[in-house]
Amino acid sequence: MSVDKQNIESTSDKEIIAIKDMNKWYGNFHVLKDINLTVKKGERIVVCGPSGSGKSTMIRCINRLEEFQRGSLTVNGVEMIDDVKNIEAIRREVGMVFQHFNLFPHLSILDNLTLGPIWVQKKPKEEAEAIAMKYLERVKIPDQAKKFPGQLSGGQQQRVAIARSLCMSPEIMLFDEPTSALDPEMIKEVLDVMVELAHEGMTMVCVTHEMGFAKKVADRVIFMDGGEIVEQNTPHEFFDNPETDRLQLFLSQILQH
Amino acid sequence: MQVREFKPLPDQPAPLSSTGVIAWLKNNLFSSVFNIIVTIIIVSALVAVLPGVFDWLIFSANWSGSTQADCVKDGACWIFIKAWSQQIFYGSYPDGEIWRVNLSLLLLTVVIALSFTLPTRLRNKIAVPAFLFLPFICLLFLDGSNIGLKPVSTDLWGGFSLNVLIAAASIIIAFPFGFLWALGRQSDMPFARSVSVTCIEFFRGTPILALFFMGSVMLPLFFPADVSVDKLLRVWIILVLFMSAYMAEVFRSGFQAIPQGQYEAADSIGLGYWQKTLLIVFPQVIKISMPNILATFVMVFKNTVFLLVIAVPEMLQVIMTALSNSNWLGGHAVEGYLFVGFIFWICCFSMSLLATSIEKKLDTSHKN
Repeated sequence: MSVDKQNIESTSDKEIIAIKDMNKWYGNFHVLKDINLTVKKGERIVVCGPSGSGKSTMIRCINRLEEFQRGSLTVNGVEMIDDVKNIEAIRREVGMVFQHFNLFPHLSILDNLTLGPIWVQKKPKEEAEAIAMKYLERVKIPDQAKKFPGQLSGGQQQRVAIARSLCMSPEIMLFDEPTSALDPEMIKEVLDVMVELAHEGMTMVCVTHEMGFAKKVADRVIFMDGGEIVEQNTPHEFFDNPETDRLQLFLSQILQH
Repeated sequence: MQVREFKPLPDQPAPLSSTGVIAWLKNNLFSSVFNIIVTIIIVSALVAVLPGVFDWLIFSANWSGSTQADCVKDGACWIFIKAWSQQIFYGSYPDGEIWRVNLSLLLLTVVIALSFTLPTRLRNKIAVPAFLFLPFICLLFLDGSNIGLKPVSTDLWGGFSLNVLIAAASIIIAFPFGFLWALGRQSDMPFARSVSVTCIEFFRGTPILALFFMGSVMLPLFFPADVSVDKLLRVWIILVLFMSAYMAEVFRSGFQAIPQGQYEAADSIGLGYWQKTLLIVFPQVIKISMPNILATFVMVFKNTVFLLVIAVPEMLQVIMTALSNSNWLGGHAVEGYLFVGFIFWICCFSMSLLATSIEKKLDTSHKN
């Protein structure tokens, strides 16, 4: 990699994401307050919390879709500094799946998938298409390759979005409420793909309210409120013995309905 | 518990009273007392006026002959248009060389047709470069002096073909310019942004007539004394800049219609700025802006008649010259102006039909 790896000595080779004292403001509004979080390679983290708690903002900082004003962030040994080359290098390591899929509507499914490999990784077209078909088969929709995003259901679009990220062979996958915009009948097909991905050892940071998913695959569950990390624990402890009253209230609210 | 099978109900045809000609008439023309009265008034007005109009235009019109003396009947004197038709379409372009104008127009038509019929991949490789080179090829060809043809001075170019070619040449070059200005306008770089905003606001805030006068009178002052830039070339530059400003604003509205998520998705797979702009944003902006792009084109095409104020012999200028010709004095103005209006209307109307069909085509192929 052509980017200077600062602080590489201080990062153990197991720690793939290290966030230290991260603070972010929108104007005068303090959205992230002293966030400290380390993620080890292969770890699956689920982040939950009420809306406006800063959970999406935090994971969007990890691939620099959002800037932060104070603190430091190291991804896969590369410290995030304010430099285009550096940002692009980090983005190549990190795949992201969005709430609203964000597929490119003017490109076919196959073109959506091959765009990154061809233009960013400079792979030949045939190779990129082979990779794309491999991942489309993994998310179980190889027969949709020639269609356009608008012709697919929400669940299928989200699976394509996951495949699109995987085509870049990222070290880390970020999920920003991947099932929130889906019909109830389609949530399962997306979660199944994510569970499979988790079992293959992918490092995942996932903002979601699917508590079943959290219990099944998470190594650690993080609860955020008011821009800070209130509590983090193993799923077992998190759900059965919440330490703070805030988390108890949150869990009672979401588990009641 | 017994499970009940769910059977969807079959579709039924709509009742006759809500479809068909009678229902349409009843709903649209005779739906209330007021509407009935309005319908009757309009129909009787049409009955009173139309026969006279058609009689003048067609039945009592003079069609055959070649001089003013042949116009003996009461109706329109189309002989006037016939006698001047070569001037109206080709200006003073030399007789033997008119094939060059026709070939330029044919090239334009072929390139437009290609851009519709070619599959996407070939279209980007063939039609787009062809479009960008077309104005320069036509320029070389019509001028002729650099490629061994008989040189034809731009003073002799004129007529309707000039309106078409200069409008097409302007919009083609204005396309990339406008896109760059629109990009510049929303850029983070202060220099690019201020240059773009200045250009856009200047050319959008100035009347095209004033710009033409500036182009013909002021622009030569900026060139060195021994360099004389052709008048038509200056007009072309003015039209390109004017058009670019409008296109930039058209594109800007297109940019604003692209969801933020598209940029974020492009960022998240690591595309650079130009890759993101050209591969993700540009195709979608074009699709969203298509109705406005064609509206702008129609506007520029119609604005080409303003060239007459600086004595460029475009179509309307030719008609006015013809009207003051001593052989044709005595009131053929109505025929002349009607004809100009009709030709422009035909062209603009077909462009708007084209626009509709493009929109439909873009709409079905990738709906979101």
